[in-house]
Amino acid sequence: MATLADLKISEVKLAAEQTGKWGMVIDQDICTGCQACVAACAMENNVTFVGEVDSGYGRSMHWIRIERFWEGEYPEVKMTPNQPMLCQQCGHATCEPVCPAFATVHSQAEQLNLQVYNRCVGTRYCANNCPYQVRSFNWRDYQRPEPLPNQFNPDVTVRRVGVMEKCTFCIQRIHKAQDKAKSEGREVVDGEFTTACAQACPANAIVFGRVDDPESLVSQLGKQSHGVKHLEELGTLPNVTYFKGG
Amino acid sequence: MAYEKKQTEHAHADHQGHTAEHFREKHLMLDPLPRGQMNDMVMESMLEKPTWKYWAVIGILSFIVVYFLFYKWGVLIAKGQGVAGVMRPDYWGIFLVNTVFWIGISHAGTFISAILRVFRAEFRRPFTRAAELMTTFGLVQAGFSIFMHMGRVWLAYWLMPYPNQRMLWPNLHSPLTWDLLAITTYLLSSTMYLFLPLIPDVAMARDRSTGWRKTFYKTLALGFRGTEGEWTHLRNAMNIFAFAIIPVMFSVHTIVSWDFAAATRPGWSSTIFGPYFIVGALHSGMGAAVVVIAVIRATMKHMKYFIRSEHFDAIGKLMLIISMAWAYFFFNDYMVQWYGGDKWTQQLLHFHEAGPMGWMWFTMLICNIVVPWAILWNPKWRATPWLVGTVGIIINVGMWFERYIIIPISVTINRMPFTWRLYKPGIEIPMGIGTLALFILLYMIASKLIPLIPVWEVQEGQMAHELKKFGRETVVTVSELE
Amino acid sequence: MTESKIVDLLAVFPDLEPAANAIEHLRSIGIHDECMNIISGIPVTEAMLGRPHQWTNIPRIAMGGAILGFGAGFFLAYITPYIYPYPIQVSTQSFIPGPPTVVVLFELTMLGMLLSTFLGVFLDSFFPNYRPMKYVPEVSDGKIAILVECSHMEEKKVTDALTKMGAESVKPAEAQHL
Repeated sequence: MATLADLKISEVKLAAEQTGKWGMVIDQDICTGCQACVAACAMENNVTFVGEVDSGYGRSMHWIRIERFWEGEYPEVKMTPNQPMLCQQCGHATCEPVCPAFATVHSQAEQLNLQVYNRCVGTRYCANNCPYQVRSFNWRDYQRPEPLPNQFNPDVTVRRVGVMEKCTFCIQRIHKAQDKAKSEGREVVDGEFTTACAQACPANAIVFGRVDDPESLVSQLGKQSHGVKHLEELGTLPNVTYFKGG
Repeated sequence: MAYEKKQTEHAHADHQGHTAEHFREKHLMLDPLPRGQMNDMVMESMLEKPTWKYWAVIGILSFIVVYFLFYKWGVLIAKGQGVAGVMRPDYWGIFLVNTVFWIGISHAGTFISAILRVFRAEFRRPFTRAAELMTTFGLVQAGFSIFMHMGRVWLAYWLMPYPNQRMLWPNLHSPLTWDLLAITTYLLSSTMYLFLPLIPDVAMARDRSTGWRKTFYKTLALGFRGTEGEWTHLRNAMNIFAFAIIPVMFSVHTIVSWDFAAATRPGWSSTIFGPYFIVGALHSGMGAAVVVIAVIRATMKHMKYFIRSEHFDAIGKLMLIISMAWAYFFFNDYMVQWYGGDKWTQQLLHFHEAGPMGWMWFTMLICNIVVPWAILWNPKWRATPWLVGTVGIIINVGMWFERYIIIPISVTINRMPFTWRLYKPGIEIPMGIGTLALFILLYMIASKLIPLIPVWEVQEGQMAHELKKFGRETVVTVSELE
Repeated sequence: MTESKIVDLLAVFPDLEPAANAIEHLRSIGIHDECMNIISGIPVTEAMLGRPHQWTNIPRIAMGGAILGFGAGFFLAYITPYIYPYPIQVSTQSFIPGPPTVVVLFELTMLGMLLSTFLGVFLDSFFPNYRPMKYVPEVSDGKIAILVECSHMEEKKVTDALTKMGAESVKPAEAQHL
């Protein structure tokens, strides 16, 4: 009799259950759609401003966006909860293998999808293959009006024309916290730091932390039964959990 | 009784007399001319003093190439992809449509000169060179189009496998890297395959030209004399090429289709894309080949001797069969996607047909199926050069629409409805026209520089053909010389 | 000294049949096959003229190129990922991906094979070669030329034989710039 182990089914299951390292929980029920996260992200990560015309034509470059939907026909419309959408830091990311230049790769240490800006040649295959459509491309060398250049974050590269970029889960903050903890000879404590979007959210709808630590707030929240992961059926193993109608 | 017999005899003689003449008129292979005369005809067609019309067309095309292709490309590089119509979610636009389109066009040359050579389809002989030229020049446009598409084209060499400072090699997981390898292989091998059968013809041209042309042909002919050894090596090499370039050609368009099929997009993730794309490529390629051949025949001296209505009839048949194959693959793809019931795919199919670009979807079906089927079934229409040429143009419009539907229209519908947006092309249109102008320009210049008819192949074919009588009937027979 | 002087004769024949007969005749009067060469404007096979089989290295060179190409593909697919000091992971795909290596191996094998076939023509035929060579331009008009190498003493005999067999012209071949 062949057992499951003989059929190597266990390995497949393991891959599906594989958890990431860093994760996020977003509660759509308390999201007010105030866009504070969008602004905070842009400032933290030196995201450029594309202006009205390009933004209206789908070239906005926000790493996080608030998606608004409604149900029904006007005037009988009903708003559905706002849906903040950002890079899901997939465990099985479809964007990664398709880059011919190795500009988007998987970080083994942090279990994140990295984007290497200066390796990017701009084929835009990764963005095309991202089911969440969260990658933004530098369509032009957008000008930052004064005094915006004064608030550049020195920890983050400024991207120029022809380069793909996306949410990094504020990897500069992760590294800063890790360096600090290391110099003090301890582990990073849950809640010690958070991403710019989570920090800015007035409703605390975004919670960031270690998903591989069962005691962390993000893991505790993630256990709620009404949590969903977007487009999970594609097997992308996303690391962001959404709550809606809880 | 006697009367009846006389009648039959008379009819028979009449019939026979008609056939020999009829065959000669109809078939190039049964209408042999002395080799020297054919050489002179080909040389004359090439050396004929260009009319003012030729120079006018060259001038206009050069202007289009310089302004629409190179100047606009400079603008694109200086300002970024923002001057094109691409955005989220249509990250891929007309540049890639043109890439696929030109690679498709390039398939005709290989199809005609390799597959038909392997299967010894004799009608191929006079226009293999014309088709091979299309392959090489088409691939040049495909290369241009793919470089236009890149956000940082000045770093394109990073995709080449070379030992860089950090010893980082290209990502072999990516279909684009396979594309690079496959298109490079195909461009190199189709150029070599164009050159090998050309050697004896440029040697011929060398023997009967003077001045700078003498130097030009002498350099190209490499010192070919036509000794037994040279012919043996050449024949062996061409044989290897004819067989080996077929899988290369199939792999190229399959890999192009994998750029789409490997992605997790509704409408793209399809296992049938490989053969569907190959048939689509042959469809547009044969269409383009017939246009080129019809134009050559109409504009160049003596070409009516070499290219006859029998050739249009034969290509027309192939076009009809390929159109049917395309319809089969299209329906196959459509049927399975429709049946699957995935909500995004359903949305996409609805968008194709009833969306704002629905007219394009129906035009595609009319151009690719209705028009070829309605015209090419009729042997008389099929043998009319201008008509088959028009069908060729219509098929190419349809196939361009097909690629447009697969790329920018299909990516409009993705799994994030918030981002759905219709693509509006910008600088891609003039630049695409620029590639078309460059293709025609290269072809027009080449037609004055290299013999478009492979004379030695035509002579070889004429030697192999003869009329043979089986009982009362005269039929064409071919002996296998190779 | 003069007796051992070698002369080259170039005879032009209008068609295959007389050329084949002439070759047969030359052989019967003692001219070795190796001392003859045929120049033609279309690929005339050895069998048509009753000539010995021509040796060509092209298939071997092609095979060698295919092996080299396969080697290059193997290097690309299996070695290069290890050269970078840090193993790069993309998605959950295995470090050396299975099916994509087939694509790489195939393309580079074909590229190696076709490139070497092409170069093989150059090597085997000594292309490019712009030195003066013995040639008559009539062959590109469909004539068949026989280049006979014989000693000075045999010259008359061979010339007569060739003329008798229907040669349009027989003359000492002179190397000329093509």
